[in-house]
Amino acid sequence: MDSTSTAETDYAVFLEKVKRTVYIDNLSPQVTESVVRTALGQFGTVKNVQFIPNYTGPKNIPCCALVEMECPRQAKAVVLEITQFPFMMSGMPRPVRAFRAEEEMFDDCPIKPGRRIQCRWVDRKDPDFEVASKIKRLVRKHAAEDLFLLQQQLAQEEKLAKQQDETLKANYKKFSIIDNVVSDGTAPGLAKLYNMKVFDA
Amino acid sequence: MVEAEKVDSIEFKWGKKRGVGGKKKDIQFYESFFYDGVDYTLYDSVYMYKEGETEPYIGKLIKIWENADKTKKVKVLWFFRPREISNYLGDEKTHRNELFLASGEGVGNANVNPLEAIAGKCNVVCSSKDSRNPQPSDEELQEADFVFYRAFDVGNCRILDKIDEKIAGIEAKFLLNRVGNQNSSGAPKLDSNKKEVSGNAVATDDTRILAKKESYLGDKAASSSGVQFDEVAKTNERQVLVEEKLKAAKAYGDLDDRSCKKAKLDNLTKASYDNKVKSMQKLRHDSLGNSKAVAQITPASEDKLRPDLTKDPHETNNALSEKPKPDEKLANGKFPEASLRQPSEEGSETNYYKIQEPIQRPETDRSKWFRGLPWEERMQTAHEQGTLVLLENLDPSYTSAEVEDIIWQAFKKSCTAKMIQRTARSSPHYGQAFVIFQKREVAEMAVAKLDEVCLMLSNGRPLVGSIASACFPGKQSTFFGHLTINKLRIHMQREMVKIILALTTLAHTTGNVLVYKLCCVPPPSFFPLIAVIERCSYAQREAVSTSHCSQPNTLEYDMAMEWCLLQERSDLALRKLRQQQGQELRKLRVTLKSK
Repeated sequence: MDSTSTAETDYAVFLEKVKRTVYIDNLSPQVTESVVRTALGQFGTVKNVQFIPNYTGPKNIPCCALVEMECPRQAKAVVLEITQFPFMMSGMPRPVRAFRAEEEMFDDCPIKPGRRIQCRWVDRKDPDFEVASKIKRLVRKHAAEDLFLLQQQLAQEEKLAKQQDETLKANYKKFSIIDNVVSDGTAPGLAKLYNMKVFDA
Repeated sequence: MVEAEKVDSIEFKWGKKRGVGGKKKDIQFYESFFYDGVDYTLYDSVYMYKEGETEPYIGKLIKIWENADKTKKVKVLWFFRPREISNYLGDEKTHRNELFLASGEGVGNANVNPLEAIAGKCNVVCSSKDSRNPQPSDEELQEADFVFYRAFDVGNCRILDKIDEKIAGIEAKFLLNRVGNQNSSGAPKLDSNKKEVSGNAVATDDTRILAKKESYLGDKAASSSGVQFDEVAKTNERQVLVEEKLKAAKAYGDLDDRSCKKAKLDNLTKASYDNKVKSMQKLRHDSLGNSKAVAQITPASEDKLRPDLTKDPHETNNALSEKPKPDEKLANGKFPEASLRQPSEEGSETNYYKIQEPIQRPETDRSKWFRGLPWEERMQTAHEQGTLVLLENLDPSYTSAEVEDIIWQAFKKSCTAKMIQRTARSSPHYGQAFVIFQKREVAEMAVAKLDEVCLMLSNGRPLVGSIASACFPGKQSTFFGHLTINKLRIHMQREMVKIILALTTLAHTTGNVLVYKLCCVPPPSFFPLIAVIERCSYAQREAVSTSHCSQPNTLEYDMAMEWCLLQERSDLALRKLRQQQGQELRKLRVTLKSK
């Protein structure tokens, strides 16, 4: 039947696209499509960049995107490279993460051919009602757990960021002091006095 | 003319003089010399050994001279080996003995070295199809130690398919194959006023075509190379051009080139275009070991040779793209993909969103001219109107269309749904979807009913619905992990400090912003990383936007590692949570009496 064959080909096409796509996480909200494109363009040809919008979570979790490359080999290379070395985009030092994309990450996933979904109403008289209600409650509980965990992790990230910021500033101050001392002649002068060599380039 | 010297026990003799130069006119330039048993001439390719390196560097002598103090120097323009620029090659395959000529402006292009560093002569043949390049014969290509046809720009860190006119002050004709050094092998001189499509461009395009598995994507490449080959296909002369390109490209032993060449050669034996097409189709059947490749090449080649033909040859490969009906073009906004589905027959708002039609749904007002708004806008309006519902506990592999069907089956109401895309954080146990109902009452009724009575889906999942309090992505300002220094942004490592100290004489006050860009690794350098420090007041943004892999010897690498550690911890926690959740779900599901 025509529709089934097109459904299958659609699905095959879609699967193929999935293979070529990389899922990137931990993106800063300032990252734009062109940034992603140039960044991953180093690994190959980027065909398409699509950000996954965040409709449900808290506002300040990192962004993620789906980047479609030209061939699965390039996608694999991207993932390999990014997992081996910290790849930074639009800011340092937090690295991004990359995974192979999966079907459910796409928003235009075609229907898997041959699948039929049934549903039925289960009301109080049905023996399964209790269990079903329990499951429903469980689902809600899980959602709450997820949110909680997420918030915890965000708090940890914030802590780390602050800590790194302080360290960085301290280091920078130290280095700039060294800079100044060397540049304004104090260090060479002292070096002459003590008969030592200045650490030069 | 002759200055014989014995340098240690290595014999050396100057050859032909070229001229004098230098400030005091005391530098003598030469065109040739005899060193350690080998005659060297200007523009020869040589091996240069560096102490401690296992493999020698390869370069072209572009200047030879002797200073007033009798030191002999050569200036060498480098060739890069593929592994040296593997970062910029990305995925492209290179031939075993392929080299890249250094070009462009910047460090790493060429260096002055003592003449004694030369370790031997090297046979590097330029196989570029450039019109300026005398084409090498097949034997020459086989005998050559190395070949090159591409260049690497050290300034932009990019592979160039075409050799520049002038590199390091030397004109291209000296860098390409020398005229007279080879027998022309009957290859006719190519016209210089033909547009310059170098054979390497063909090769790269072909490799790209091969690499794609999907035919309609191959079509895109075909059309782009089709554009290039458009003019090629037009005249016989050009066919000769193509043949030669392929002949030389064949030397690389690439499968795709061979198949392409065979295709083209076959064509050239026959007179008309029609015959060519037939031979193409014939080739389609005899696979050269990679039938996919041939199949991919043939539509591409067909495209090349017959750009103005009807789509008949493409029918098999491009059946998909032929199908969409005219109102498919309503795709916009969030759904720009070339969707090959047929328009839905349901609901006025689903025209932007094409789905298959396996399930019967009533034909309500189908307004074909109605262009659906992008999903986000609709969600927002729905949210305000109170018609937005969040469904949870769906199977994660459901699609939006299936969700709509479910709603239809359950409530006999039409709606638009969108599955929430899964991210790395989302639970693999269930999926979620947003559903926009037509009216607020309908939405509330649905939610109420879902609460009271369970709607069981096929695999034991009761649907959970709630009026959605969607959170719309606004302008996020808080992102943890990107640090900035207000004034100065420097990466501290030993070499960096050295360079900065050297440059502090240039920098004035600390109000200036110093940034850096990483460029490629030049062979005989001493620093593993050379940074070109530019000074610019807005350049900090540029540096930040230059995405890069951090090197292990920087401070940022250490910080990045800390982030990775944190990430791992979070992942672990998340995994454990998911495991636990999965267990709980399973336990309950098992107790379901009917599935």
